[in-house]
Amino acid sequence: MLKNALLTLLSLAIAIGLGGGSVWYTLDAQSGAGAIRIGPWTAFPDIGTLDADPYSQARVARQGALTLGRAEGLSFIAETDSRGEDLLRECSYTIEGGFPTARFWTLYVADQALDPIASGRPHRAVLHSHEILRQPDNSSVITVAPNAAPGNWLPISGSGPLRFVMNFYDTPIAASTGLSDVKLPTIVRTGCNG
Amino acid sequence: MGKLLHAILVGLVGAAIVHIVVLLLVPQFSERDAWSNLAMKADFYTMTRLDAQPGSPTPIKSIDPSFYAAACRFDLADGMVQVTAPGPVPFWSVSVYDRNGHNIYSFNDRSATKGQMDAVVLTPAQMIEVRKALPDGFEGSIFVEAPIDEGIVVLRAFVPDESWRPTVAKFLDQSSCELQQF
Repeated sequence: MLKNALLTLLSLAIAIGLGGGSVWYTLDAQSGAGAIRIGPWTAFPDIGTLDADPYSQARVARQGALTLGRAEGLSFIAETDSRGEDLLRECSYTIEGGFPTARFWTLYVADQALDPIASGRPHRAVLHSHEILRQPDNSSVITVAPNAAPGNWLPISGSGPLRFVMNFYDTPIAASTGLSDVKLPTIVRTGCNG
Repeated sequence: MGKLLHAILVGLVGAAIVHIVVLLLVPQFSERDAWSNLAMKADFYTMTRLDAQPGSPTPIKSIDPSFYAAACRFDLADGMVQVTAPGPVPFWSVSVYDRNGHNIYSFNDRSATKGQMDAVVLTPAQMIEVRKALPDGFEGSIFVEAPIDEGIVVLRAFVPDESWRPTVAKFLDQSSCELQQF
């Protein structure tokens, strides 16, 4: 009798623990159904629309987010560098390459919850395409580092996980066609403190 | 031993069911969604700033730090809602969301007459009434047909650098969200 009760309890524990835990895990991960991966960058073109899959819908409700519409833009998030290693706030990175067609884009650093990280200095931890310096071939090299760097500099500070968020505004890539041809810049780690 | 395996198997099947049920219930029972956050800040038909003001956390996630944004909640069962904002800014865009935060419709300044922000959100039934005789004040408006009752309209504006802050802040502070009876 006691054995049966214990077995039932075990079944219930597995069902609730594993079932609830797996939802919690998948909603925090920057991957899964509806994701489009281009190098280290991930986007969810359908997120926040009525066409979105249940995972995207739950993600939006849980974060309380109001996502960008198709005519507004498309948001890409990177949580690893181009070699697949996690992004860290104590490291320096170089973001290099061309950018897809858009009226303009913005790039900022965020923490794990995708809240922007304040730089703590007059120079904001945000770059956008109107202020960026370009190479002769129209590509850009952006240095992400704690210390000031020449060229395009995106300041970071502190330690812990890091995310890059790149938003393209008024862009044809937000329409579902052609996302496979899009090329995004690479993220290369150049060094770490400590 | 067989009974233990059986219990684990039942547990795993149960886990799959719980996973699906929890996933589908999250949007219904979320108390942190955009609508609830806005409801705590302002009443219907009031434009509220969404970007982080000094001393308070960002009420809505996924707002670009180089943007200012404002939102208002509306209920089309009361009537149409007209959203306007004066003056030129480098870039603005508007999204209409339903009660659950789904994006119904979006457009940006290139869609507007002379780049002026003037939009009317209405139901298809109200659109039929408006088509019969266009009321005064709607000549330059963008009409957004939305088959919803309650919803949120969000206006975002780009702040390229410090010098644009006062202009963009004024653009959003002077924006209005008005119930229009017809």
